[in-house]
Amino acid sequence: MSVIFGKLTWDAIPFHDPIPIITSAIVLIAVAVVAVIVWRKGWWPYLRDEYITSTDHKRIGIMYIVLALLMLVRGFADALMMRLQQSLAIGASQGYLPPEHYNQIFSAHGTIMIFFVAMPFIIGFMNFVVPLQLGVRDVAFPTMNNVSFWLTASGALLINLSLFIGEFARTGWLAFPPLSEKEFSPGVGVDYYLVALQISGVGTVLTAVNFVTTILKIRAPGMSYLRMPVFCWTSLASNLLILAAFPVLTVTLALLMLDRYMGFHFFTNDGGGNSMLYMNLIWVWGHPEVYILVLPAFGIYSEVAATFSGKPLFGYRSMVFATMLICIISFCVWLHHFFTMGAGANINAIFGIASMLIGIPTGVKIYNWLFTMYGGRVRFTVPIHYLIGFMLLFVGGGLTGILLAIPPVDFITHNTLFLVAHFHHVIIPGVVFALMAGYTYWFPKAFGFTLHEGLGKAVFWCWFIGFNLAFMPLYLLGFWGGTRRLQHISDPTWAPWLNVALLGAVIIGVGIVLTVVQLWYSIKTRDQRMDVTGDPWDGRTLEWLTLSPPPHYNFAVLPDVHGEEAYWTRKQTAIKLDQLIKEPDYQPIEMPLGTPVGVICAFFASVCGFAIIWHIWWMAILGLIGAFAVFVWYAWQDEHEHVIPVDEVRKNARERRRIRMEHLHNLSQST
Amino acid sequence: MTTEAATIGLTHGGSEDTGLGHRGPESKSIVVPYGFWLFILSDMVLFSALFATYAALVNATDGGPTTNQLFDRTLVAIETMALLFSSFTCGLAMIAAKRANMAWTQIWLLVTGLLGAVFLFIELYEFAHMIAEGAPPQRSAFLSSFFTLVGCHGAHVTAGLLWIGTMMAQIWAKGFKEHIVRRLLCLSIFWHALDIIWVAIFTIVYLIGTLP
Amino acid sequence: MTQDENDLLDVAPGQPHSNILSETAAYVIGLALALILTGVSFWVASTSVLWGPGVAVGLVVLAIAQMGVHLVFFLHITSGPDNTNNVLALAFGVLIVFLVMVGTIWIMAHMTANMAPPPELTNLQMQH
Repeated sequence: MSVIFGKLTWDAIPFHDPIPIITSAIVLIAVAVVAVIVWRKGWWPYLRDEYITSTDHKRIGIMYIVLALLMLVRGFADALMMRLQQSLAIGASQGYLPPEHYNQIFSAHGTIMIFFVAMPFIIGFMNFVVPLQLGVRDVAFPTMNNVSFWLTASGALLINLSLFIGEFARTGWLAFPPLSEKEFSPGVGVDYYLVALQISGVGTVLTAVNFVTTILKIRAPGMSYLRMPVFCWTSLASNLLILAAFPVLTVTLALLMLDRYMGFHFFTNDGGGNSMLYMNLIWVWGHPEVYILVLPAFGIYSEVAATFSGKPLFGYRSMVFATMLICIISFCVWLHHFFTMGAGANINAIFGIASMLIGIPTGVKIYNWLFTMYGGRVRFTVPIHYLIGFMLLFVGGGLTGILLAIPPVDFITHNTLFLVAHFHHVIIPGVVFALMAGYTYWFPKAFGFTLHEGLGKAVFWCWFIGFNLAFMPLYLLGFWGGTRRLQHISDPTWAPWLNVALLGAVIIGVGIVLTVVQLWYSIKTRDQRMDVTGDPWDGRTLEWLTLSPPPHYNFAVLPDVHGEEAYWTRKQTAIKLDQLIKEPDYQPIEMPLGTPVGVICAFFASVCGFAIIWHIWWMAILGLIGAFAVFVWYAWQDEHEHVIPVDEVRKNARERRRIRMEHLHNLSQST
Repeated sequence: MTTEAATIGLTHGGSEDTGLGHRGPESKSIVVPYGFWLFILSDMVLFSALFATYAALVNATDGGPTTNQLFDRTLVAIETMALLFSSFTCGLAMIAAKRANMAWTQIWLLVTGLLGAVFLFIELYEFAHMIAEGAPPQRSAFLSSFFTLVGCHGAHVTAGLLWIGTMMAQIWAKGFKEHIVRRLLCLSIFWHALDIIWVAIFTIVYLIGTLP
Repeated sequence: MTQDENDLLDVAPGQPHSNILSETAAYVIGLALALILTGVSFWVASTSVLWGPGVAVGLVVLAIAQMGVHLVFFLHITSGPDNTNNVLALAFGVLIVFLVMVGTIWIMAHMTANMAPPPELTNLQMQH
């Protein structure tokens, strides 16, 4: 322990552990290679001005998704390592991962997948799509949006640093005390976890403020609430949940930090502490969190179902109502995560019933998607594959959830592989499939060309088959007594099932590799699949009104909305009359400037966070002062906008109109 | 209704519009304070988690000092008066700011800040006294939760004082530009919300906590 | 619609919206009401005139009243159509606060009652 370096010594680097040290070396080399390529090709100014400092919601959305995909690689590597360990460490064998490493791996897997893959991916979609669908130019607070992204990236950076310098938590992804207290986890692992999540948590709450404000206050003229696309409704519900739930997470993690850093007694075994209180508070956040993820995913499915069935979404109002109902009920079920902790029969019963009730609005949604497809002319594109796969699989996962909602059943299955199977069963078909569908669906809007279809279908089948192989055996193993997070398996009869699960994981891995291949190949052959018109799927919502990619300001003139499915009606009218709407009066457009505030603030947040983890107090204080100073410096500026001259607006708009007119002529000639 | 007032969103007429979006995006003077209002509500949820923790741990004194032995209602009454009056003076500062009156805005902001500082001073004194008397936050779960709940509110007040100082400097340097007045509005929302939290604190922690 | 007309139609919390006299009056009335309610709270907490268990309830009611005074007189939350979003957001916040606090207190009361360590073990925990 020193004043200059705190707890940090050379011992923190895992020289003697082959897996982390080799991974670290590979990552460092990869980062260096990328940096050299960027420098040599002169890409830095473009990256800096068009992405890193961008306040454009579309660019920020893309950065979120890039972050998510990068972290998916690490989260999935953890999963593969766990499957491998469980297949190898049976009976006499101890496998290749000692418990102290295995425990870090399953903790990192959960933390990364939820906080740094699923959340950024979903938030990335909301960023890219919501302002376009609302027919407006950007979110309510574009600079804050940039800050939010970089704070999330800062959290991801710290999590990744824990692999190279120090260790990660061994407590599972929720860091339950007393194990996560200083007494039983004296190392820096839990601190990495806590600090990374607190930093990215700030970013997430700011995102929620941004999106709730945008959806409620910033919409195109004529777009009343009941004319918004369903994806916007689900984004509203999800962000309301973030606003409501994340403060509780912030408090809970802060209390644990106070215990660890200042010797407080919230959750300790002594001094009157109560670790059950942690369980309660963390799940008050934890349950809404999964709905934060799944509601926008349902929104993606709604968009995909309507577009590729060639029909409006069935039961729009019931969809909206079901969404907001799920939003509220999701805040009333959290105790089902700790039925076994001893609240008693009455409380367990009430929360059990509430947990079952939430299946009803979800069922309403499933029926709505089914009836959207029924009677439509369904095009079997990649996103529809994911939709159908989701509908087939998610119902099963939901049903096992209803099973678990029965307290006596949960007493037997709590924290077994049955539970692990259940939550992957809802999250992978529910959230991951939607993310893949959305990725395919909105890729052309973002980049101007579609992804290769054949490879996309191959990726789908890898996920579909791989998922079933990887997780169905776990239901059985859970019934047979298999606890979660086992580093060693004592019953050799489980081996065949675990090997099937390993095979499933490998197939998913092939799918992930194919996703990379698909991206590379699609870029290489993009000229064959250019999105000339901006509407490659014959879409129904306003984002398809723009060219691909849209100009920074999205719309030359904000579209007037006259009914549900604003874009579809407008398009059908244009086709019928064989002309576009009257050319509007163009005005110069004021847009926010880019800013380095976000990345600089996040830099200081990372410095401060790293310092707190390693008890380097002078550095922590400097980091805090730095972050505050940047903020004050930014607030002192006056010029935060620039004006796009009317000539440029007119030129871009006329180009769009010309392309659309040509497309219209092609359509009427082919009919 | 003057144009300046309209520009900074001061005016309202009764209207048939109920937020159905018929008129397109709202102006910044509506959007910014609304976003801040949402943030304040999330802060309320944060405090509710701290209150819930406090309620769950209030009896976990580990054989150490209890509420009755520690809390001084007179000091609390003075703190309450200071904060309540500071809310009032903050309101007066807003009235002056809307009329672009430099002198009165600065005066009322200064008074608000001073009253806030009085509040903080008494609170820090109380904390120091408790620590000296063998009741630090590390003594028991009850004390941990007391110091954290009340301390978190105090930290918010501190941040508010920094903000007041910054705003006084900005107004002085830049005058009553639209975005400056918007920030002042957000500050006043923040300051009033802090007093709302304090009402809950003095009622639940200090009054109900020390009932005979 | 012009900027001015836009601003006519929705109001954010804390924005006063009339002439200087009525605006000041709002704050003065709010202050007076809050002072009265605070004074009553302190009195209720120290008097033995009221029935014991009712005191806590009374204090909570008074606290809610004080919060209401702040919301209406200082933050200008009203029930007009221009305030709908503000009220809805507030209602949502209040709902969550209620669920978190009541839910936690109810659950933890049961947990502590059912799962507290037996007295023989409790002594082992009072070390430092």
